[in-house]
Amino acid sequence: MSEKSRNERAQALRDRLNTELQRMSLDMCVKCTICETACPVAAVTPLFSGPKFVGPQAERFRDEESVDHSVDYCSSCGTCSVVCPQGVNVAELNSLARAVMKAEQGVPVRDRMITQTVLMGKAMTPVAPIANAVLDNKLARYAMEKVVGVHRDAPMPTARGESLHKWLKKRPKPTKAPTRGALVYFHGCAGGYFEVDAAKKAIEVLEHIGYEVIVPDQGCCGLAEQSNGLFEQASASVRRLVDQLRTPGTDLTIISTAGSCTGMLKHEAHQILGIHDPELLDVGTRIREISEFLMELHAAGELPTDFRPVEMRLPYHAPCQLKSQGIGTPASDLLRLIPGLEVIDSNVTCCGIAGTYGLKKEKYEIAQAVGQPLFDMVQANNDGLAACDTETCRWQIEKSSGVETVHPIVLVHRAYGLSS
Amino acid sequence: MSDVVVIGAGLAGLTAALRLARAGRSVTLATKGPGGLQLSQGTIDVLGYTPERVTRPLDAVAAVAPGHPYASIGQDAVGSAVSWLAEVLGPDLLVGDPSRNYQLPTAVGAIRPTALAQPSMIAGEAAGGRSYAVVGVRQLKDFPADLIAGNLARTTAPDGSRLAAHSAFIDLPARRGEADPTPLTYARAMDDEAFADRFARDVAAVAGKADVVALPAVLGVRRSGVWRQVAEVIGRDVCEIPLPPPSVPGLRLYDALLGMARAAGVRFIQGSRIVGFEAADGGTIASVTLAAAGGPRALRASSFVFAPGGFESGALDVDSHGAITEPVFGLPLTATDAGPLIPEVYWGPHPLFEVGVRTDDAGRPAGTDGAAVHPNLYVAGGIIAGAERWREKSGDGIAVATAVRAADHITGGAR
Amino acid sequence: MKRLDTDVVVIGGGSTGLGVVRDAAMRGYRAVLLERVDLGQGTTGRFHGLLHSGGRYVVSDPGSATECAEENAILRRIQPGAVEDTGGFFVTLAGDDPAYADKFLAGAAATGVPATEISVKEALRREPRLDPHIQRAIEVADGSVDGWQLVWGAARSAMEHRAKILTYHRVTKIERDGDRVAAVLCRDEKGGEDVRIDCTFVLNCAGPWAGQIAEMAGASPVEVVPGRGIMIAMNHRLVNTVINRCVYPTDGDILVPVHTVSIIGTTDVHETDPDHLPIPRNEVQQMLDAGEAMIPGFRKARALHAWSGSRPLIKDKRVSVEDTRHMSRGMAVIDHSKRDGLLGMLTIGGGKLTTYRLMAEHIVDAMNEQLGEDRPCTTADEVVPGSRDGRLYTVTHRLEDREEDRLDDPIICECELMNRSMFVKALHEQPDATLDDLRRQLRLGMGPCQGGFCAARAAGLACSEQVADAERASGLLRLFLKHRWIGLWPILYGQQVRQTALDHWIFAGTLDVEHLPQPEEEIVR
Repeated sequence: MSEKSRNERAQALRDRLNTELQRMSLDMCVKCTICETACPVAAVTPLFSGPKFVGPQAERFRDEESVDHSVDYCSSCGTCSVVCPQGVNVAELNSLARAVMKAEQGVPVRDRMITQTVLMGKAMTPVAPIANAVLDNKLARYAMEKVVGVHRDAPMPTARGESLHKWLKKRPKPTKAPTRGALVYFHGCAGGYFEVDAAKKAIEVLEHIGYEVIVPDQGCCGLAEQSNGLFEQASASVRRLVDQLRTPGTDLTIISTAGSCTGMLKHEAHQILGIHDPELLDVGTRIREISEFLMELHAAGELPTDFRPVEMRLPYHAPCQLKSQGIGTPASDLLRLIPGLEVIDSNVTCCGIAGTYGLKKEKYEIAQAVGQPLFDMVQANNDGLAACDTETCRWQIEKSSGVETVHPIVLVHRAYGLSS
Repeated sequence: MSDVVVIGAGLAGLTAALRLARAGRSVTLATKGPGGLQLSQGTIDVLGYTPERVTRPLDAVAAVAPGHPYASIGQDAVGSAVSWLAEVLGPDLLVGDPSRNYQLPTAVGAIRPTALAQPSMIAGEAAGGRSYAVVGVRQLKDFPADLIAGNLARTTAPDGSRLAAHSAFIDLPARRGEADPTPLTYARAMDDEAFADRFARDVAAVAGKADVVALPAVLGVRRSGVWRQVAEVIGRDVCEIPLPPPSVPGLRLYDALLGMARAAGVRFIQGSRIVGFEAADGGTIASVTLAAAGGPRALRASSFVFAPGGFESGALDVDSHGAITEPVFGLPLTATDAGPLIPEVYWGPHPLFEVGVRTDDAGRPAGTDGAAVHPNLYVAGGIIAGAERWREKSGDGIAVATAVRAADHITGGAR
Repeated sequence: MKRLDTDVVVIGGGSTGLGVVRDAAMRGYRAVLLERVDLGQGTTGRFHGLLHSGGRYVVSDPGSATECAEENAILRRIQPGAVEDTGGFFVTLAGDDPAYADKFLAGAAATGVPATEISVKEALRREPRLDPHIQRAIEVADGSVDGWQLVWGAARSAMEHRAKILTYHRVTKIERDGDRVAAVLCRDEKGGEDVRIDCTFVLNCAGPWAGQIAEMAGASPVEVVPGRGIMIAMNHRLVNTVINRCVYPTDGDILVPVHTVSIIGTTDVHETDPDHLPIPRNEVQQMLDAGEAMIPGFRKARALHAWSGSRPLIKDKRVSVEDTRHMSRGMAVIDHSKRDGLLGMLTIGGGKLTTYRLMAEHIVDAMNEQLGEDRPCTTADEVVPGSRDGRLYTVTHRLEDREEDRLDDPIICECELMNRSMFVKALHEQPDATLDDLRRQLRLGMGPCQGGFCAARAAGLACSEQVADAERASGLLRLFLKHRWIGLWPILYGQQVRQTALDHWIFAGTLDVEHLPQPEEEIVR
């Protein structure tokens, strides 16, 4: 990357900050400190001055070259934007400021690598047992930390032997004819390669209710690239995905079990990457996170609630990227419809992983401190399972609490009597 | 579909949601932020100044001007609403009696009336010639102990007695390597018993003789009773003095109220503004529009309680031409041109901030004819016209009383 | 009565006075400057923040244009710490006459003002918020300048050369001995004493008040026409380049980025009393419209603070009293020996901040002449204290500094990134200062919250640093809040209403500042 093109890239990002809603939204800030009090990173380390400081406050002082590198401690969890009573797009301001800084400095190889989730999935799947063994191996992880900067204890996804699409091709056609029309299913990288089980169950639940589920070929939403400042790559990824999700038709609802990816399509690609394509707007308007969708059906009296009891305590953690969609916590409401299930909300802001933040060796301790109250709560309240809507959070919770953590749809699948 | 949608998570919204949920209604509470509790002093003001200092707030409530929010509610209903809140929160969070004001020191050393306070504060009541050892923390820039003590020392208390005060400081970081903690950072550290013990010992070593040791309001946020632990170690009464935001006492109230509301089944949606509504013929509101990520969502209900705050939250907006509007429902306001209402002089009334929505006796927004604009829409809290709440110290009482009025009208009767 | 003895007394603590006292001191004269309030509280503290390239005057006032261009370069050399190299554009808006730009370029060439036409595309690339319908754009060497950093830099330089700078000293009389100036009498407002300064010369640099000062010497009326203009600071830098409308100078045709704000201005209304400068509602609306014409969406941006300043224009035979804009901006030196038979006093009027050093040179030269001295001016050759690292001001400075020290030094004014050390240092150097005096030098309370969070902290520090007792510290706080309001109420709309409401919640709601114990006497300055 030449010096010149790096500066041009940084300049282009700075221009976006200077002109778009992000920067104008700094005018909304009345310095009330609400965002600072909600920030899970500022709560555990003084190295991060807080979202108000690095967001609307510092932005008034920024021009040309970045001088405040501590903005990099922001994990982009998005909590600040959610809680700001005045509507400052704090998290978006921080993300863009960080992207400018990274464009000036160049994005480290480590950050490029850990964003390539689809590639990881595709590469790891055929050699899953070996890949998993390597990821579990202490020496290999130590080497990874030294060379690449991924912390030796950071939670890594487990590869499966069979991808979702392979399963879809191989499985017998569903016997029940659809009674309600078709839905498009967006599984995300986790659902496609790492947590195929949850994706299978989601499809089965939707088919059980009466929908035909169409699963187009699909790639990565670009979220990991975006949070690491790789805006061009992220834009290319999300545009590709948008096209893929539109191929089955543009009048169908799109259902997702990938909580954070849903957020990317609903608002982040527009607000952070600055994409204004009508195609993105179309997908963002039609997409529903699966619990959100099922609760909409429930509100309309259209969700079958003939659930079998599932007798257990279930700690549930609402992830940041779901809360930032501003639809409440529909999974918590949905799980409460299952008789016998004692849903215990975590009431913790963030699990700490924040996508790829907690993988990085210099951020790992912070991420663990952020999530510790959650890990404690899960350990104290579980009967063998915990639930959370987003994949990296599930891996983080499972690794650090030792409790198997699943997507809420797994419980719904069981309650419908679909699990053997 | 819920029975009721409550808009706003301030004291008014949370009170309404909790009252409705406990009366058996299904409630959705939609809010952009966490309301204003953590920006306020963390006590319940009923009425503090008229503009004379008030010692018996409910008596003063009975004498308010006709356009005041309390006027159509009345002394008894205000008192019982506030008492209900105190009962619900419990004596670990609120003590006092709405018919009598405490007179408590502030973080610049003024004396301020308030009706219900947190138990950690009341030993600081400015009465009976009390003497204070005001102990600050070097790291806490919002608690100027010298200024507070200096002002208390030259104050004649409302009961006519002279106060005495001196100041001291301790030097104790809340976290290693941090020079600039917020009060919340400190309060979180105090949730740890060992830290609170260390703090108390350091304070005891410098406090000196006085009736009460006055401390910044950072005595824990999650763990209740930190103030008792500290008082025991010091061996003397302590009192917390509320600080500018972030207000730890305010957060305690917010956490408690929100927790109770959710435990009572209130569905909580945070982060999206309500931007509009759909109404049927006759003006009955069918749904309000939530500006969620990805697109608007309709929140349907039979009744709606609109408790979005006042000018501070933007619920009442002034544009660059000075036009005042209420942007969500377009409700009629008591004034629409800000120009004449903004005074040139800082000290004194600021009539702009009395502008808001008129209500009928049920608490529904009304036009000048007194008739409800929508039969199933209620308002509560700062959006209601007729009081400069911070000046006369009435915001909390107005929030609670109007919220209870709205909730009770929806459920068809007081509890 | 205290007595001092000096060569020259300079009256007026604005840019002119400070330039003069520095120049006189550097030429070896003993000098005392008297200012009745704080430095830079007059016109210098109420201007646009613009370091003129000269472009504005290339057609209307060519002499001024050349002077500005030359002095602009000099100030960047001698006071870089007060100057930001923003660059400037002159843009032809959609409804403006595009031919004026040609006149402009011709005038620029004739007056030696550097000016280059750039493409509209390039102008919009560099300032994307400009109205996309601009027709032409010309680049010039405008900069922005902090008036207080300017005068304090000059003051510190003057003090290095042994001058005395006496703020809060109000001149009461100028005594003569026959036909010569003999002494200046003044009142030390903070100390509460009368002071007599025996001197040989008086230089009247009192700007809009110059007429009142001349009267105190018994001179015949010097007619100063205060041309009042309002300016509004917007909450953030909507642009990073000075934007001028490419038209014959008119109202509201400049937007200047200064520190963290952008300032739109200005109007031009004949006023009579420089101590009473209103900020009328219609002029506020006029400025918002002017901003909207240059930057679409301007009215939706947040207005932070407004003020009114008056240009110190000496009456000029060419134009009528009502039309103050088109009076010569050039300087006028009035020699009272010729006019009033009073030896040893000169009055200077007019001018602009950009040429303050040159104005000072002229008046001290004139004083030289009257005294029969031949001491040359060296003010353009020496860099002032505080600017000796040669670095121009950049808006990122404080952010960079706080990034270094935030873990060691608490930030008191968070909006403007002023930390505790900065404030405490100034407190101890100037123990009699009000919070506004400190504000002018440190930017305390000049950001979005307008003192909401920092004013009480500052008062608290004054007390804990034992510079003020509780009574005085409380008075300082009350005075600060009262003064902030002057510039807030005229532009109270939109976000600033919300901020004000929150600030009231803090000061009235939580702190109950109104009910602090009443002082013996309210502090007024």
